[in-house]
Amino acid sequence: MIEVDGVSKVYRAVEREPGLSGALRSLWNRKTRDVAAVTDLHFSVAAGEAVGLLGPNGAGKTTTLKMLTGLLHPTTGRLRVAGHRPQDREVAFLGSIALVMGQKQQLIADLPATDTFLLHRALYDLNRTTWRATVDELVEALGIGEEVSRPVRTLSLGQRMRCELAVALLHRPTVLFLDEPTVGLDVEVTVALRAFLARYRARTGATLVLTSHDMGDVGALVERILLVDRGRLRFDGPIDGFRARFGSGRRLVVRGADLALNDLGFVLEGAQRWVATVPVAEANGLLARVLQRHPAADLTVHDPPLDEVLAAAFGEGRRT
Amino acid sequence: MNRFARALPDLARVAFAGVVTYRAEMAIWILATTLPLVMLAVWDAVVAEGPVAGFDGSGVARYFFATLIVRQLTGVWLLWELSQEIRSGSLSIKLLRPQNPLLYHALQMLLALPLRLVVLAPILVVFAALRPELVWWASPAQWGLFLVTTALAWWITFGVQALIGMVSFWADKADGLFGVWFTFWMLASGYMIPFAFLPEVARDALFWLPFRATLALPIEVWTGTLPVADAGPDVAVQLVWSLGLALAVAAMWRRGLARYGAFGA
Repeated sequence: MIEVDGVSKVYRAVEREPGLSGALRSLWNRKTRDVAAVTDLHFSVAAGEAVGLLGPNGAGKTTTLKMLTGLLHPTTGRLRVAGHRPQDREVAFLGSIALVMGQKQQLIADLPATDTFLLHRALYDLNRTTWRATVDELVEALGIGEEVSRPVRTLSLGQRMRCELAVALLHRPTVLFLDEPTVGLDVEVTVALRAFLARYRARTGATLVLTSHDMGDVGALVERILLVDRGRLRFDGPIDGFRARFGSGRRLVVRGADLALNDLGFVLEGAQRWVATVPVAEANGLLARVLQRHPAADLTVHDPPLDEVLAAAFGEGRRT
Repeated sequence: MNRFARALPDLARVAFAGVVTYRAEMAIWILATTLPLVMLAVWDAVVAEGPVAGFDGSGVARYFFATLIVRQLTGVWLLWELSQEIRSGSLSIKLLRPQNPLLYHALQMLLALPLRLVVLAPILVVFAALRPELVWWASPAQWGLFLVTTALAWWITFGVQALIGMVSFWADKADGLFGVWFTFWMLASGYMIPFAFLPEVARDALFWLPFRATLALPIEVWTGTLPVADAGPDVAVQLVWSLGLALAVAAMWRRGLARYGAFGA
């Protein structure tokens, strides 16, 4: 569904010294510098697959997403999405994708969302009956029955994002690009949106490409991670493989009062929750020592949270 | 029926909803473009001592009365919309849709026309009552050519604003460039000074430029100062500008999008 073959993107950035003298000098001596946003990216995404495009700020995630949707043109390399070259912006291509950006809206701010729904029907040349059925289905699934008839600017961020998702899915895209879809949302709305997206993908088989700094989104929505750092692809594989590659070990959690575990490297989190993170090879030994000391302890072993793994991956990237 | 024709009714419905939502702002804009009434008072005083270039008091009144109406019929605000969309990046969302964003802007501006006339109507009625000579009867041929030349005048105004707005693909702000255009336009379109009042050398030079085609031509056809039988060369120049602008807008849009895609969206 998506093929990225040796894609690079170089911007020409203008550099100017601060102050009046810098402004005047820039009039006749304009300095520019080439900035490589993305370098020699290679990956492919199969139809129906869900991938997370992760990386620190400025890593090249959004540049990649914009190239995949045709908004940016690659400097070199070859891109294909749903059988099309995105930058050609063919009607069939635009009708098969959707981009949801948490920071930008496509709803018309001063009109009710239903007006944008109608506009969407016209722009995408949707059959009226199918469009009506899709609107009803999305409004029901997203729980926005009352919100869609109010001017968008009067909606809360969570209500607006639900409406944004509804309008993005009206033409039933086969490839869905999500750029920070839950940024700024509260926990309840975030969980609801994740659940909706997971159901939508399960039902439609849509391909999904997600960028997010929220590892909750990643864990809930994707099976595979593409880690981009300083414009280069540093990891491509399943979430488990990502944990194994960058995760620092196992996380042991012991619940109970009156336990003495400080000397074993545990830290008390909350009133009755002792936590220790140790290398995989040492996990079984530590487990045995805890059980020896507290045979009835309520003990669980976890993979480290994705946030920690990602932080470790970023840290490793900075050191290399 | 093609894709665009099918989209038109719903596009129009939403565009009109937008126009109605911003009605107060638009009413203020409309009332702010009543300069022709001021010019009427000025030129009325000038011709009071005797006709100038064939214009007497009622001729001047008709001219600026028509100016007021044609100015409203050719009202476009694309420059500010497009420039803002390019600089803020909000154009990106619109580029993901399978219709040209300029189309929706064009519809919204065309659908504002009825509202513009509704706001203007009381002013027109009052002045028609005060100056009965403002009411004149145009022949069917005049009406026909007036409608055609007004439509082309609207398109030239839209095209010029599209070109200037698209400068934002390359430069930070296009508003300054529009200021230059607008200054020339005020003097050379017939908005403040009827063409007949200009020296012959200025009239000859301005004949070939687009300013006259955006305003003076439909006014003169409607008021009868340019007989329909003599309007051929003027309409030909207007058609050439209309076609040239259509090609220029299409070419600049393509180049602008390539630039937008190269430097950041």
